[in-house]
Amino acid sequence: MGTPYSIVIVGSGPAGLAAAARAAELGLSHVLLEAEAHLSHTIHRYQKGKHVMAEPSALPLRASLPFAAGKRETILQSWDEGTAKLKVKVRHGAAVTAISGTRGAFTLTLADGEAVQAECVVLAIGLQGNPRKLGCEGEDCELVQYQLDDPDEYRRETIVIVGAGDAAIENALALSTQNSVIIVNRRDDFDRAREGNRDAILKAIEQGRIRVVNNAGVASVVMSGAQRGVITLSTPQGAAPINCQRVIARLGATPPRAFIESCGIVFPSKDPNAVPAVSEHYESNVPGLYVIGALAGFPLIKQAMNQGWEVVEFIAGRNPDPADTPLLAKKFEKLPGKATVAETIERIRSRIPILSHLTPLQLREFLLDSELRTPRAGEMVFERNDYSDSFYSILDGGVFIAPKPDDVSELIPLEAGQFFGEMSLISGRRRSATVLAGEDCVLVETPRRSMNKLIASVAAVKRLLDETFLTRAIQSKIAPGLSAEDLQEVVSSASVERFKAGEILFSAGDVGDGLHLIRKGSVTVAQDIGGKETVLAYVPAGQYVGEMALLTGAARSATVKAAIATETIKLAAQPFLALLGRHPSLRNEIGATLQARAAANARAPQGKGQQQGIVQFLMQQGIGEATDVLLIDETLCIGCDHCEKACGDTHGGISRLDRKAGASFAELHVPTSCRHCEHPHCMKDCPPDAIRRAPNGEVFISDACIGCGNCEKNCPYGVIQMGVVSEKPPSLVSWLLFGGTEPGMRHDKALAKAKKTSGKQAVKCDMCKDLSGGPACVRACPTGAAIRVSPEEFIQISQGSV
Amino acid sequence: MSQPSKRRYAPRDAIHTGFMRHRGFRWAKFALLLCAICIAAYAWHTPLDVPNGGTWLGYTLGGISASLIVFLTWLGVRKRRYRSSFGTLKGWTSAHVYLGFALIVISTLHTGFQFGLNIHTLTYVLMWLVVLSGIYGLVAYAKLPLEIARLHAGSTRDAWIEELLDLNEQALKLAEPLGEEVHRRVVASIEKVQIGGSLRRQLYGPKALRRSEDSRPLLQSRIESLLKLPRPTGSAVPANTVVFMAGQLGGTDKTEQELQRLQQLLELIGRRNALAGRINRDIALSARLQVWLLFHVPITFALIASLIAHVVSVFFYW
Repeated sequence: MGTPYSIVIVGSGPAGLAAAARAAELGLSHVLLEAEAHLSHTIHRYQKGKHVMAEPSALPLRASLPFAAGKRETILQSWDEGTAKLKVKVRHGAAVTAISGTRGAFTLTLADGEAVQAECVVLAIGLQGNPRKLGCEGEDCELVQYQLDDPDEYRRETIVIVGAGDAAIENALALSTQNSVIIVNRRDDFDRAREGNRDAILKAIEQGRIRVVNNAGVASVVMSGAQRGVITLSTPQGAAPINCQRVIARLGATPPRAFIESCGIVFPSKDPNAVPAVSEHYESNVPGLYVIGALAGFPLIKQAMNQGWEVVEFIAGRNPDPADTPLLAKKFEKLPGKATVAETIERIRSRIPILSHLTPLQLREFLLDSELRTPRAGEMVFERNDYSDSFYSILDGGVFIAPKPDDVSELIPLEAGQFFGEMSLISGRRRSATVLAGEDCVLVETPRRSMNKLIASVAAVKRLLDETFLTRAIQSKIAPGLSAEDLQEVVSSASVERFKAGEILFSAGDVGDGLHLIRKGSVTVAQDIGGKETVLAYVPAGQYVGEMALLTGAARSATVKAAIATETIKLAAQPFLALLGRHPSLRNEIGATLQARAAANARAPQGKGQQQGIVQFLMQQGIGEATDVLLIDETLCIGCDHCEKACGDTHGGISRLDRKAGASFAELHVPTSCRHCEHPHCMKDCPPDAIRRAPNGEVFISDACIGCGNCEKNCPYGVIQMGVVSEKPPSLVSWLLFGGTEPGMRHDKALAKAKKTSGKQAVKCDMCKDLSGGPACVRACPTGAAIRVSPEEFIQISQGSV
Repeated sequence: MSQPSKRRYAPRDAIHTGFMRHRGFRWAKFALLLCAICIAAYAWHTPLDVPNGGTWLGYTLGGISASLIVFLTWLGVRKRRYRSSFGTLKGWTSAHVYLGFALIVISTLHTGFQFGLNIHTLTYVLMWLVVLSGIYGLVAYAKLPLEIARLHAGSTRDAWIEELLDLNEQALKLAEPLGEEVHRRVVASIEKVQIGGSLRRQLYGPKALRRSEDSRPLLQSRIESLLKLPRPTGSAVPANTVVFMAGQLGGTDKTEQELQRLQQLLELIGRRNALAGRINRDIALSARLQVWLLFHVPITFALIASLIAHVVSVFFYW
């Protein structure tokens, strides 16, 4: 054991590398531990020639290494050169398996058993995790790889692929065109994979393009020559050796969380998206152990590099202003008075209780994502039925909520410190009320993604939001006369329940024990009619089912099933009945409300068998989570593809819809096109937060897209593609006079030109939000076959009344 | 601040109606009214000479007809202006159809029922040809989409073609161990499967296979000859797939195995041929949906050329 290093940095990604570079520049004793043989493994793994973007463009770079948008190779080379020039001390092949100790006395254990001593540790291992290895003899020999960069590199080889997930299947399919591929599956199905992959691999196996060994594990891998060896499988029939040139194991990755927790770092919640809480100096709850980069919740390269630089400054005892200070100062310009950035942040923290649970770093990040609004008194903040989903906290002044847009007499005041907009945030549906600004109003408007990040990381925020959501939902939908205090007991007895698609909330004949307020997702209400389950209604988020239980406790009259993954807040009947017992006048009022609803349900027209089938069909197509979907009436569609041409022509030459693809039922076709989901899957993991929802409901991708392809992978409906957008559509006049490309057709010349200047970006339907007159696909349909409908209209469509 | 939300679509009643019923038959009503006014004017008007295109009413009707022709032709331009918000294309199609009908009436009145072997009557005849081809198109648009949708029954032509190629491949695999003769015939039958082709073939389907090109009779006769062979003992067990599989695995009964293969192959080729038939039917329906445009559009251009000649000559002789 030698003298401890001042700083040991774990992981040589952008964050770790920047930290090590700064440490070297300052002359601090340091070492950078990297498990791989090269720096920045994640970026190294990007495909060749990938254009790497430098978002957010407004944020200045503050690092000892250069970084600008450009090719993967250029960036990696500049880092290699910079690292060499600064004489950064790097140890490759040093995988850290354990970290123990505290400030001044850390011990890092490496995979080879060696121990490294450190005064401070900077953890910058990112989120990619370690690929799970074969766990047998020869797992690290040259024959075995855990990654496939370019399938075209290999020809005429016998390749064994181990694994049955999406990565394994995709690799197997890509390699099978030029190689002989054998896939080894631990089980006998491919149910873990996406449906498209599953179908493709089963078909390839059936056709003999890929061979499969089911119910098999790997016993050993032995080299038998240069790039040649034997993999021995253990099967129920005994050991089976296979000669091959390559073994590719795609067994998933060990998430870094378990490792991080083993170092003593605490995560604020069980949510898989939660990141460890760190101080404004990036220090975790373990003194001297710092966490930066993607692992701390900052996935962008530039942010990570800035943090690397800053964390070393902090460790060296300096206290530079964070790089984002000028950005925050600009945001705070609008505020009256001349407070510094730090003072304003402190003021926000102390005035708005829901934000007081945030660490200073989280609050900075939160404010960077947010906008400060200073609407005039009486100005509309948002209108009922808007599709916006941002969240507002009141810093100064107040607002008025107007649940009924025409009746200003019923205004509910909210004061500074309170918040609003949580309904749409949670349910993904339109605004349920109009909100008007009061005198001297200052609001913090936060986009949905930042809010969701916060909900995942700070348990107190989640609890507060859930309770407020429930109280306000009961007040607005069931019992308008009750105050929040009245409802306290009822609310605290409520529980959040989760249902998978197709799972039953309750069945007809069950004892009615409470009401389900649908918080997220949607449900179908069905009754058994003539021995056949018949869907009567579709109930979206924000509404409730099973309300009669609150009054009568009678048995359920219908079966309610989740159409998609759904969350409900279950309100038990007993505490509510007790509450009504204390407020007898309310009992009649609520009774009347619920009776009216029940009567309206009973009146709902009951369609014929096939029409009811349409509701089920639409739900199977995932329309239960749509806010606006393109449908094609096949009795009117003449297959002219004008919808696709119009889309391509108005959107840079790439049509965002595929008319022919998609399912049909009873002459109703659901083409492959964006449904603008209530909770868009594509938004889940967008590093630059480029996917947004416009006030009218359109989910669109902004220019901030870095082309990472996460949204394409996350969309279950396959409506996002990666492509190069060309600015100039073909000219109609020039086509009429001189020929060439017809408007609406593929404009190869313009595309080739665009390819030279820009990288691939994600493209999807934006419902033509920037064109007057609405979606071009619908406007370009000559026969009226293409229609766009919202959930409210689905049932009417199914009944043939639209 | 968020802007107030606005309904971005056509009014409620227009969400799901075909182009014929667009906006409560707005253009049908307009066309009828136009025709009624023209007919009334024609009946009311007593020219010095017989009614003809040269009176003031004749010029007016001619002017209306010529404007209608320009307007109707403009659909071709409007439908490629994908950014235009000047009405919806559905509205334009609706207007195109009903004003096209009105054109027949108004232009006929414009002729004053005087016809001859001249450029004027040629223009009139060309106009009729365009309208008649359009009427065919209208009928095709009204009937064929439903027929196509029913034929597809949720699947697509691409999927069928893929399945067809799949079946061909399977057939080849089955045929391989069955001797050269069968293999050759199966290969030939694969080569003979015709999908689409010339316009005539698209519309009426490919030529029927000659008997010599069909591999099925050969298979059938092979099966029959095999069935005549003495059956193995214990053949009380029906010749089903299980037996086939067992035979294959055991490799004991060659005849039984070959018989099963032949029957499978026969069934497979039958399925393949049915699929090819369905694909060709689909191609025929799509061709019928579009073939009229091959007349409608070029004759329109001829009509416009003729119309210009007609107008110029009229003013030249004036």
